[in-house]
Amino acid sequence: MTPDDKEMIIQAGKLSRYYQTGGEVVKALDDVNFSVGRGRFVALVGPSGSGKSTLLNLVGLLDRPTAGDILIEGQSLAKATNQQQIKHRRERVGFIFQSFNLIPTLSAVENVEVPMMLANVGKRQRRKRAMELLERVNLPHRASHKPNQLSGGEKQRVAIARAMANRPTLLLADEPTGNLDSKTEAVVLALLSELLRDDQVTMLLVTHDLHVAEHADQIIHLLDGRVERIESLPEKGNTTGGRDEQ
Amino acid sequence: MTLKDQVLTACRNMGRRKIRSFLASLGVVVGIMTIVILISLASGVRQHINRQFESIGLDRITIVPPRAFAFRGSAGPFGINRNSDTKKIITAEDVARWQEWPGVIQVRPGINLPRSVELELKWHDKTQSVQMAGPLMRPGRAIWTAIPEPLAGNLELPNGGGIVLSQGITRSMGFEEGQLEELVGQNVQVVLRTSRGETQSFDLKVQGVSSDMSTAIQVSTDDCLSMKCWWFNDDTLMQTEGYDFVVVNCSDVSRAKDLTERFREDGVQVQSLDVFVDMANRIVTIITIMLVMLASVALLVASIGIVNTMFMAVYERTREIGVLKALGASGWDIQCLVMIESGFIGLLGGVLGLLAGWGTGVILNKGILWYLEYREQPIHGVFFVVTPALALSAGVFAAFIGIAAGWFPSRRASRLDPLEALRHE
Repeated sequence: MTPDDKEMIIQAGKLSRYYQTGGEVVKALDDVNFSVGRGRFVALVGPSGSGKSTLLNLVGLLDRPTAGDILIEGQSLAKATNQQQIKHRRERVGFIFQSFNLIPTLSAVENVEVPMMLANVGKRQRRKRAMELLERVNLPHRASHKPNQLSGGEKQRVAIARAMANRPTLLLADEPTGNLDSKTEAVVLALLSELLRDDQVTMLLVTHDLHVAEHADQIIHLLDGRVERIESLPEKGNTTGGRDEQ
Repeated sequence: MTLKDQVLTACRNMGRRKIRSFLASLGVVVGIMTIVILISLASGVRQHINRQFESIGLDRITIVPPRAFAFRGSAGPFGINRNSDTKKIITAEDVARWQEWPGVIQVRPGINLPRSVELELKWHDKTQSVQMAGPLMRPGRAIWTAIPEPLAGNLELPNGGGIVLSQGITRSMGFEEGQLEELVGQNVQVVLRTSRGETQSFDLKVQGVSSDMSTAIQVSTDDCLSMKCWWFNDDTLMQTEGYDFVVVNCSDVSRAKDLTERFREDGVQVQSLDVFVDMANRIVTIITIMLVMLASVALLVASIGIVNTMFMAVYERTREIGVLKALGASGWDIQCLVMIESGFIGLLGGVLGLLAGWGTGVILNKGILWYLEYREQPIHGVFFVVTPALALSAGVFAAFIGIAAGWFPSRRASRLDPLEALRHE
């Protein structure tokens, strides 16, 4: 491992994921190699079926590779045990979904508390942290609202706060703006950029929208389960839209 | 995830589907209610039996000669064991010896008359057919009825020449309750009659009248022996047969148990009341177990209802389970959540079933007491007794049923693949 490798938070080597459907083998990911540096914002771009979500799921250990290896902070996780997978998802990763996936019966603040509850954080401590996060996503006044009382943008901001709850090193976002209008999309992207910058979090963001991908530091273009090309974008200032109160 | 969080989350999940949770617990309500009613009834009956035996006196034991049951228990007119060479009999010496034993307060020997003996009671011009009372239970006296009390005079008999009448006899002979005192001290005649028509009369003095409603008399031991000698036409019965039974009053219940052993070692058969109590309790227990097993069928059906509910709940929450797993929940966390919720459904059913069972018991108790009073057999007390142990066991058992019913759905939930669960619509 070179000194540069130490700064690499994700290293994928010959990563493959095949599915058996009927008698046919579908290569969702085939021999993918890439690295992501700490604190970087990487967009995974490609048409439908190109393997973006599969790659994200492998990094989040929601799925296991058929071949190859994936190193997160230098730790090989291709053959991680069940307990290691759970620990990885709970402590190192924060997930942001396209459809928000908030628990409908819980209020906004309770939803943010869920990952901390799973990590055995005490009630008072997790409530304090959840309120801090809701303030950061500018939703403290919505803390006691249930998801069905929130707009799409607000739901996604609660989901972002939830993803940040256990101070992860990796944010994995699957089309986080896919269900949002353009104005809200800008707000969410700005918020994500701000969190990344302040908390030194690395983010892998799946999108098929190049406009969204342009906010990243790096774009990995996928096509038919393979890395087509990796594009590095110039350094950006903090210019991505402003907060939008919904 | 801590247990406290699991419990709180499970409660919240249960609250999300209040009606369904309630309906799922209804089966358990019925099952637990039935079991509580049956067990509380058994408990009440057992308490009554024990109380009755205690009021007779558990400190009292009855002794009979060895093999008395085999030869004389159902003795007819020819029921005497003539192989007297080998058998042990209870003699007056035995009685005197036992009287000296520590813990013995009183030893009262007794004689049984064969059941075929016809007895008549005569007083002036009035005649009444009667039976001879046994040592403990008077004929026709049910376990539930009250212990006879003296209505006039006393119920203690001298060794000879005394008789105690029952209220049933005096009523049949036309005596009002106010006239009973007049009877005490009066001479009456007890007439024995054989099937051939021969008769023998015995003059006895009335010692008292008991509240017993049967037509039984109690006669002094010496007179009983004379009657028996006349019946069998054998004046040596005391030498060959001895006493038929001896009632021993002990200083207390624990002494009675020790003395029971000592009497057995002395070669006589002992009938102590704790044997009857044990026997009665055993019968009640067996009947209760059988009924509870039947009621358990209701609980089995209830548990299937809970299984169904929890499977549906897991199916409905598949996506939510996927989210929890993506956020770092372990399979065990998920399994606990489902099982605790299922256990709470069982517990809810248990608590409601317990309340329903207790309430039904209270109502039935009132109904039964009213009926007994109507039938002029007044008994005071509670037939349905819900003890704290029963209440606790019912709750724990119901919760266990719930947890057991939640096992399979929870296993399924814990094994859900997070990716597939997240794709679930």
